[in-house]
Amino acid sequence: MAALSAWRVARVTPLGELNAPPRMTGVALRLLVQVVLVASLWHGLYSHTGTTAGLGESQAVTYAVLAVLASRLRELDQFAGRDTVIQHMHFGTIVYWYLRPLPPQRYYALRALGEQVYGFAWALGGYLICLAAGVVEPPGSAAVTGVFLLSLLLGQWVLHYIMLATDQWCFWALRNNSAILIIIFAQNLLSGVYAPLWFFPDWFVTMSSFLPFQATLNVPLSIYIGRIPLSDAAGQLAVQAGWVVVLALFTRFLWRRAALRVVSQGG
Amino acid sequence: MNALRITWRVTRLNFRAQLEYRAEFLLNVAIGAIWQVSVIVFATVLLARFTGMGGWDSSEVLLIPATRMLAHGLFVLLLGRVHFIGRQIQEGRIDIYLMRPMPVHRQVQLSYFPTNALGDLTVAAGLMVGALSRSELDWSAGRISYLVAAVVGGMLLEAALFTALACASLRFPAADYWSRWLEELLGTFGSYPLNVLPRAVGGFLTYALPLAFVAYLPAAVLTGHGHDTGVPYWLAASAPLVGVLAYLGSRLLWRWSLRHYTGVNG
Repeated sequence: MAALSAWRVARVTPLGELNAPPRMTGVALRLLVQVVLVASLWHGLYSHTGTTAGLGESQAVTYAVLAVLASRLRELDQFAGRDTVIQHMHFGTIVYWYLRPLPPQRYYALRALGEQVYGFAWALGGYLICLAAGVVEPPGSAAVTGVFLLSLLLGQWVLHYIMLATDQWCFWALRNNSAILIIIFAQNLLSGVYAPLWFFPDWFVTMSSFLPFQATLNVPLSIYIGRIPLSDAAGQLAVQAGWVVVLALFTRFLWRRAALRVVSQGG
Repeated sequence: MNALRITWRVTRLNFRAQLEYRAEFLLNVAIGAIWQVSVIVFATVLLARFTGMGGWDSSEVLLIPATRMLAHGLFVLLLGRVHFIGRQIQEGRIDIYLMRPMPVHRQVQLSYFPTNALGDLTVAAGLMVGALSRSELDWSAGRISYLVAAVVGGMLLEAALFTALACASLRFPAADYWSRWLEELLGTFGSYPLNVLPRAVGGFLTYALPLAFVAYLPAAVLTGHGHDTGVPYWLAASAPLVGVLAYLGSRLLWRWSLRHYTGVNG
């Protein structure tokens, strides 16, 4: 019974997506164009340059294209379904999350899981097409593939908690539009979506190593392209796992504090 | 005159409304600045690692993001609410606007004050000052006038692109999804010489999705690279005019789309 209700909650946003063909077409076209543009850009930049920052042309292209695909993992539109935390805070309907037999934190986690799985299907499809077309290089070995997948899982887990903390901000500030934009910016910049972190100055790379963002994408992608050798991967995986634990405890604490702030019908 | 007075009063009210949530207000200013800084960071990293990008030196390349960002900041300040028409359609607000004695487009633009434009414009102006001070060009009155025209043209072209998307949203509310992508594309690919890209891709960003006219082509004309863009020189030089024409065309499209808007109640 619990599994059935979990399944029903998890599929809400993907179902909404499947019922909006223009949006699905948009995702496909956007991914295609973005991949072509990003691959063209990095090929163009490398046309007069050899290896730079420890990355060769194929490594840089693979990194950049995989970053585009990975950034689509959490791209679903909850706003259209009026089920974002900010909307519930705005309309006062957040209280219903606390009146259901399903705890709000579990509801949120299940919705996120459904989105993640759906987004992963898109990313995987895109990856296979890119691999077949020779746009990205395959991983160096089976061991690299395994470590990459584990690192990707941990990275998405970290990202989930970052997004959750951003949503929880609404319980205190009522609005989180700007916080979300700042988080998106920080995530894109410090995880390597804009450009691989290896291209940045040393001080920037050192600074980002103290933040959770690089654990979301830069670590798995660097393992994939071989910029982080397998011998160094254990330490990076431990850092990712550490962030998962820290952020899990932090967001758990915030859920508890948030529950104290929810007021129904004026108190 | 009456319309101007109403616009001014509504804008003042909107500004005060933004101040109601102080933290959000400050974050909004910050996000405008931070968003623009991301463009600078991207361009700087590329310039540092890949010198002589597309045959342009770094001071010439800087003129591209400076022009684009200033145009974008002005767009956000003056016309940027067109961005959120998709959401307003989803919430049924367009139906309310249609009942009021004021053009719908103006009501959309007056729906809230774009606080983030303050941060946008501050950083953009700073980058423009930096780009001009590093530039070795002779900034004659003609060149400065062309730069001003390019910024205005870039603003109008960006507004035209988002207005066209808003028109699509009137028919398909989910088309709103595209506006985020367009903004991302403008930020990523509108800030450096497009001749580093393959000719077909550069052609796509010039003729299919005319990002090149926002800043790349005007900057090419200003820096003397106008003949190396793969675009006829007269067309590259007419970039500001392209912005004006595109915006006028988009407003005609908006009028037509609004006449055919049916809303959720038919």
